[in-house]
Amino acid sequence: MFKKLMALLLVVFLGAPVVAEPLRLTITDGVIEPLPYAIPTFQAEIAGSEDMAANITRVIAEDLSGTGLFRQIPSSAFISQHIFDTTPAYPDWRAINTQALITGAVAVQGGQVVVKFRLYDVFTGAEMGDGQQLVAGVDGWRRLAHKVADQVYSRITGESGYFDSRVIYVAESGPKDNRRKVISIMDYDGQNAQSLTQGNSLVLAPRFSPTGDRVLYTSYESGSPRIYMLNVSSAVAQPITTAPGNMAFSPRFSRDGQRVIYSLETGGNTDIWMTDIATGQHSRLTNAPSIETGPSLSPDGSQIVFESDRSGTQQLYIMPVTGGEPRRISFGEGRYGTPVWSPRGDLVAFTKQNAGRFHIGVMRTDGSEERLLSSASGGFLDEGPTWAPNGRVIMFFREALGAGGGPSLYSVDISGRNLRQVPSNGFASDPSWGPLLR
Amino acid sequence: MNLQRYSIGTWVSGVGHTGLILWLIVGWGMNNTPMDFEVTQVSVVSGAEYEAMVAATSPNPVAEPIGEMVTPDVPVDTPAPVVEEVAPVTPAPTPAPEAPVEDTPPPPPPARPEPVAPPADAVVEPTPPEQPAGAPDMPVSDRPVERPADRVASTPTPPPPPEADVSPQAQTAVVEDAPTETTDPVIEEQTPTAPEETATRIVSPDEKPSSAPTSTPRPPSRPSALVPPTPAPTQTPEPDTQTAQTPAPAETPAPSTDTEAANIAAALAAASGAAVNEGPPTSGPPLTGGEEDGFRRAVSSCWVVDNGAQWASVTVTVGFSMTQEGKVSGDVELLNFTGGDQATARAAFEAARRAILRCQSSGYPLPADKYEHWKDVELTFDPSTMRLR
Repeated sequence: MFKKLMALLLVVFLGAPVVAEPLRLTITDGVIEPLPYAIPTFQAEIAGSEDMAANITRVIAEDLSGTGLFRQIPSSAFISQHIFDTTPAYPDWRAINTQALITGAVAVQGGQVVVKFRLYDVFTGAEMGDGQQLVAGVDGWRRLAHKVADQVYSRITGESGYFDSRVIYVAESGPKDNRRKVISIMDYDGQNAQSLTQGNSLVLAPRFSPTGDRVLYTSYESGSPRIYMLNVSSAVAQPITTAPGNMAFSPRFSRDGQRVIYSLETGGNTDIWMTDIATGQHSRLTNAPSIETGPSLSPDGSQIVFESDRSGTQQLYIMPVTGGEPRRISFGEGRYGTPVWSPRGDLVAFTKQNAGRFHIGVMRTDGSEERLLSSASGGFLDEGPTWAPNGRVIMFFREALGAGGGPSLYSVDISGRNLRQVPSNGFASDPSWGPLLR
Repeated sequence: MNLQRYSIGTWVSGVGHTGLILWLIVGWGMNNTPMDFEVTQVSVVSGAEYEAMVAATSPNPVAEPIGEMVTPDVPVDTPAPVVEEVAPVTPAPTPAPEAPVEDTPPPPPPARPEPVAPPADAVVEPTPPEQPAGAPDMPVSDRPVERPADRVASTPTPPPPPEADVSPQAQTAVVEDAPTETTDPVIEEQTPTAPEETATRIVSPDEKPSSAPTSTPRPPSRPSALVPPTPAPTQTPEPDTQTAQTPAPAETPAPSTDTEAANIAAALAAASGAAVNEGPPTSGPPLTGGEEDGFRRAVSSCWVVDNGAQWASVTVTVGFSMTQEGKVSGDVELLNFTGGDQATARAAFEAARRAILRCQSSGYPLPADKYEHWKDVELTFDPSTMRLR
């Protein structure tokens, strides 16, 4: 028996194949640079579609390059021309260091635009995802381009895009002491701007609903600040019945869009309240002698972040939406305000004022890893951050002080790179980034 | 002065040293006769005389013109054939860099550098000048034939009777085959001297196919890629000798007629055979830290990290195989990931794969003689240090 056992062990030992150990290494350092991509002008499948094809190609490229994460390779560097729906000549694209190749075709027919596109990973020599075809009316060609860019962005980064989205903001015009302020809406890139209110009264802080079909804002139409809800498609606004008080302001929708969370000043004290839009039921979330304002809900709706001066200076706090003891999360020097919870749920954006400078920054929800993304001084102030629907980019407004100065919209990547001004007609402030359109 | 404070040892030492000094001074018993000197006469030579002497013994350094510089003609002639010889070889490698990954979709055209048949001629050509006669035998069998008659024809075949005593069956089989190759009597005369010099281990010609190529260390240079085709045919033609030899060691336990024991013995033989055939996976020393760093740096330089992306918190481990040229062979596979969901892991993997494929253009800087150590690679891409903080 022992002999057999020994023999068996020997067989196991000797018979076990000698497996060559792979070389195992860990790489921790990479490079931070935009990913080079090529996008040959989309083919016009039907005569007369050439201009549309060129425009759509241009917008896609602007979207991608505008993120700072991609770098377009100029067409003058192309070695070969690509014919849509054929296998790309990968070596030619590799030779000019193209990593992603976007090809497409456009057809305009019967008042409709049809866009087809394919995305290739040049170095693996494979297509990334399937080709797609999108159709829209001629007027919606920019949205088509944005959708293609969103698809490309999503397939490469693994995150949803934000190009086919809109921003609501306050468009300002006129002299500084008599500014006309209008609630307006535009594409994320500043195009297709439209006014939604008449500008008869002062309006502040518009906020998109989670579905993008409604907007909450504060208006002085009745003489004192009140909260209004505006239907985006009909541009009809109506006041929200809030809890009794002198002033209601800083409204935001809850994540389900059914409730409004806002600040209410009563008897010289400002606290945070929540009102159910349908039933008109109110609930008080904070009850302190200090000023609590600027509430923003977490993505799951279970917590709120807000600003309060209960510690003597303006700081950020988090508390359960059902009530409880607020937890302070900001401990840096200066004052913190206008907090906004990231759609990803991991960060809170804020405005910070310290030593005469204004910053837009982010921190983790426990207050750690605070990073300042912008810095304004010398007659400028940064304020009012809002998150892109994918939580990757922050838009805010920077106001130039002085008699001739006014606010403008800016966007910045959460890495702090790619700060750029959003084009707009005239002054613009208080942006609120809407959801990705469907 | 208190003399009692000194120990006896001190006194003894003092007395001894004093006596020794006195003995040296007085010189009792010493012989002071002068030693003999060998005297050699030296003459002084002047500079002129010395030059005359040197001139007489050294060759006359007359600078004769060597003649015209014919060398230009020689190199012009020699390189020409060299280039011609190299030319047929180079075309084989050149297609390789273009083929590697890009043509995955259209599989048919990419022909790997396996023009085995044509290169065989091209490769044999450069070597033959040394041993043109032995060249024809090369493709037939490897090791034994390379050192031709000395060892092959040496001891085993005809001569000594003792081997016939040990295993008569094998001997007869070998004797029947061997005579066809080497039956010259001349070789028998060489046998006493040749075998001891040519090999430290006595290897009978019958053993040649069994243990030859499986575990040979891989040569660092390229030609190894062209050799593999040959060993296969050499083993098959001699099934008789193979079976006669290889079982011999394994059969030693076999004498027991028990079937279980026989099965165990067979399993042992098979297992040991399998282990041997696997070959040592790690031949030679492992990669040095510098070599690993070089590889790591090469991949890092192409690893584009979007530290604002969600996948920047995902660590992925990918695996792939490499060719001897340091290029990725086949697909890069995601082995595992930590810190994210499938979508973000996918993005992290794509970034890692792009890095690996993008920077392999001319092959990664890895030592060819340690190929066994980096034939298979597992890289872990950990962007945590690059994450936004």
